Amino acid sequence: MIASGAAVARLRRDLIAAVGSECVRTTPEELAAYGFDAYTDVHAPVAAVLPHDAAAVSAIVRVARAHGVPIVARGAGTGLCGAAVPLEGGIVISFARMNRIRAIDARNRRARVEPGVANAALSAAAARYGLFFGPDPSSQTIATLGGNAATNAGGAHAFAYGSMNANVLGLTFVDVDGEACTVRADDAGYDLIGVLVGSEGTLAIVTELELRLLRVPRAVRVGVAAFADIERASEAVSEIVGDAIAATALEIMDRTVVRAVEAHYAAGFPVDAGAVLLIEVAGEPEDVADAERALTRIVAKHGALSYRSATSAREREGLWASRKGAAGALGRIAPNYYIQDATVPRTRLPRAIADVERIAARHAIPIGNVVHAGDGNLHPLLLFDRRDARQVAAVAAAGDAILDACIALGGTISGEHGIGYEKRETLSRVFDRNDLATMLRVRDVFDPARRFNPGKIFPSACDEVTAPTPTETGALA
Amino acid sequence: MTAAQFAIGGRVPSAVHAPASVDALQTLLRECDRRERAVVFFGGGTHQGIGGVPARYDDAIVLTNLSRTIVEDARDLTIAAEGGCTIGALSAALAEHGQFVPFDVPLAHLATVGGTLAAGWLGPRRAAYGRPRDFTLGTHVVLADGTLAHAGGMVVKNSTGYDLSKLYVGSLGTLAAIVRANFRTVPLPRARRIAIAALPERSRSRACANVAALSREPSAALVFRGFTGEVDGDEGSEGRAFLLFEGSEAFVEQAVREVRSALGSAGVPATRLIDREVPAVFARALDAYASAIASRSATLRSYGLPSDSHVRVDACERVAADCELACETIEDLRTGDVVARVSAATEAAFAERVLAFDGARRTALGSARFVDAPAAVRGALDVWGAPPETLAATRAIKARFDPNGTLAPGRFVAGV
Repeated sequence: MIASGAAVARLRRDLIAAVGSECVRTTPEELAAYGFDAYTDVHAPVAAVLPHDAAAVSAIVRVARAHGVPIVARGAGTGLCGAAVPLEGGIVISFARMNRIRAIDARNRRARVEPGVANAALSAAAARYGLFFGPDPSSQTIATLGGNAATNAGGAHAFAYGSMNANVLGLTFVDVDGEACTVRADDAGYDLIGVLVGSEGTLAIVTELELRLLRVPRAVRVGVAAFADIERASEAVSEIVGDAIAATALEIMDRTVVRAVEAHYAAGFPVDAGAVLLIEVAGEPEDVADAERALTRIVAKHGALSYRSATSAREREGLWASRKGAAGALGRIAPNYYIQDATVPRTRLPRAIADVERIAARHAIPIGNVVHAGDGNLHPLLLFDRRDARQVAAVAAAGDAILDACIALGGTISGEHGIGYEKRETLSRVFDRNDLATMLRVRDVFDPARRFNPGKIFPSACDEVTAPTPTETGALA
Repeated sequence: MTAAQFAIGGRVPSAVHAPASVDALQTLLRECDRRERAVVFFGGGTHQGIGGVPARYDDAIVLTNLSRTIVEDARDLTIAAEGGCTIGALSAALAEHGQFVPFDVPLAHLATVGGTLAAGWLGPRRAAYGRPRDFTLGTHVVLADGTLAHAGGMVVKNSTGYDLSKLYVGSLGTLAAIVRANFRTVPLPRARRIAIAALPERSRSRACANVAALSREPSAALVFRGFTGEVDGDEGSEGRAFLLFEGSEAFVEQAVREVRSALGSAGVPATRLIDREVPAVFARALDAYASAIASRSATLRSYGLPSDSHVRVDACERVAADCELACETIEDLRTGDVVARVSAATEAAFAERVLAFDGARRTALGSARFVDAPAAVRGALDVWGAPPETLAATRAIKARFDPNGTLAPGRFVAGV
């Protein structure tokens, strides 16, 4: 933390000397834009730097090291857990200018990109080769691939194509000393990609990603099944997933969400159903036809009130646009929403949703539910008015209780948004002291001084964690 | 169990242990760590050809007593398995529920979950389904100092802290013993068929290009040159395509029609289809990856882009010929892997020539790794090839996890 004005002035002077004044932002008005993400906390940095290339990133890290100040890497600021907020001030590196797609290797189905490329921009560029990028968080038109990697983002299609960790084939990163290093999936040595992806900027700063591309399927069908309740929709999902059907996305929305979405987008969702299941199947034409026959049978078996398949690409895209815009559509019901992110084993989804509804009722907070049902990944949306202190406190308490409920069901506290600042204290409910200490061994290797994104992921008590002691728990206890 | 059975590269441990529980393993490791005794973990021993000869080796720790599997609710499509459970047993447990995990490991009846993950084994179907690491949802490990630590969980989508399971996969037992792993599973395909075709040299490149362009992609697309004793079919002394198609009945039927046409138009005379006992035929093809010829062969594995796999096959053959070694290869058209088995008629001739081969291969195949070599020569080979850029981080992680160098010292890349 920089205390004195003189120290701040020296830091800014050195940053300008290292990368040029046109890359450095220092006025309060400018810095206000780099002090928040999609979580609630706001804290401005003392400097924001917008490098053009990896060499400048190294130079910035060296300046930070010389001044002993923290660095927070920032993509588009769509993160929901406060991971991009510079809690301790210091420097924010924005990747807004490092947004070039370096290469698309169609033959080998991979792309090299800078971290500031928006997720959807890669798929758009790859489309000319008949390729696309798998992970698709709902914020994909804005959210950057660097940020996606930091949180191990997934999206609706992670069910079929995996989250970021399964789709990153290489990374170039700058370490805490400003040295650049490249790691590829096939390299000998420990799997640093596996650890860096999802590390939320606490280990290194990524300056380039090599990503796996997939063939655009030749046939795609999107259908909408209406159910009386989420339980029946979830049962249908379990059977679809277990039945070797070429489903590529399985999304549930409850009545509250469907009504808001329909009022906003008029995509044709049935507004009277208790839950709607959006099903995408993709593959070869014969697979899709086969899958749709099976789907019709399965949803009927589980009591679907209706099933309808989109008849055109435009209708299909409309259904997806409205699903991905669901959170925003809830603005019709309340001025603010808080989206929770948790995962449970798929068959426990009905119990998890029942718990969510009970918790929301107890705290007198209206909720809507969107669920990546194929993955057991819940996103309860807690609706409130931030001008009302009671509601704000109730949302915080309810959000926390939802995480406890999901942990009790064998789940975890984030499926794709990460831990950031928001859930750092909750992490110790999922992992014991030894587990956290083991993670910290890795952090000690990369960043012993805790200069990269301090105050994130790890509970504050971890600052005091010392060498772990053996426990007595059996392997399958 | 005799100590000699657990020798690696001619180095024999002084003791062999088979802990009956995780608790016992923790106690044992704590003691070894305290007394500065170097240990190597063993499952079925099928991957012990990978890596260097341990710099020190006092105790072999066999983990096959930890062999249970747990399926809480098959509809979750997840399974937990202890580290000593064989891949064969795991696959059998999953098959009861119509599920599988595409480990694609040779000698599945011997290879264990812990060993397969530790070895970082990568099979041919990973292009279609993902790598074993991508199926690994969580792990329980025992660290060098006896600490039991957990990573990940039992859910299929997880962004909760560092995913340390990824660190243990491929670490060759140098960071921890994997005592339990949780996996995502997938439903077994409804239909499977294998297409085998001889590839005359004149048709080879066009046939491979046509296979790469198939709209209905095979789950595995291999070209074997040699391995006539191991892989089904006697077609093609110059090489044969081995293509596995999996999916719905309709998909497989169409795929087979498409591949026949694609190979035919490349001048491949005939494509034979196998539709019975497909898993067994595929398993035998996988066994070829680990098949050695007495003590007169070594196996080199090269990872790279699918677009240049043929270049690496040619390089292996050229360098082997220069060193008077016979060369058989497996070229994976989907992943880009190349596996080359080089051999000689006698042990003595082989020992001399493989060292020359190792020296000569560094230009064309610098990052390729030996995954099997006879004990007599293993210590003299550069088994890991050129070190990665991340070597410093790898060394630092090893030092932080295993400061006393208790776990398989010297087995990993660059002697880590």
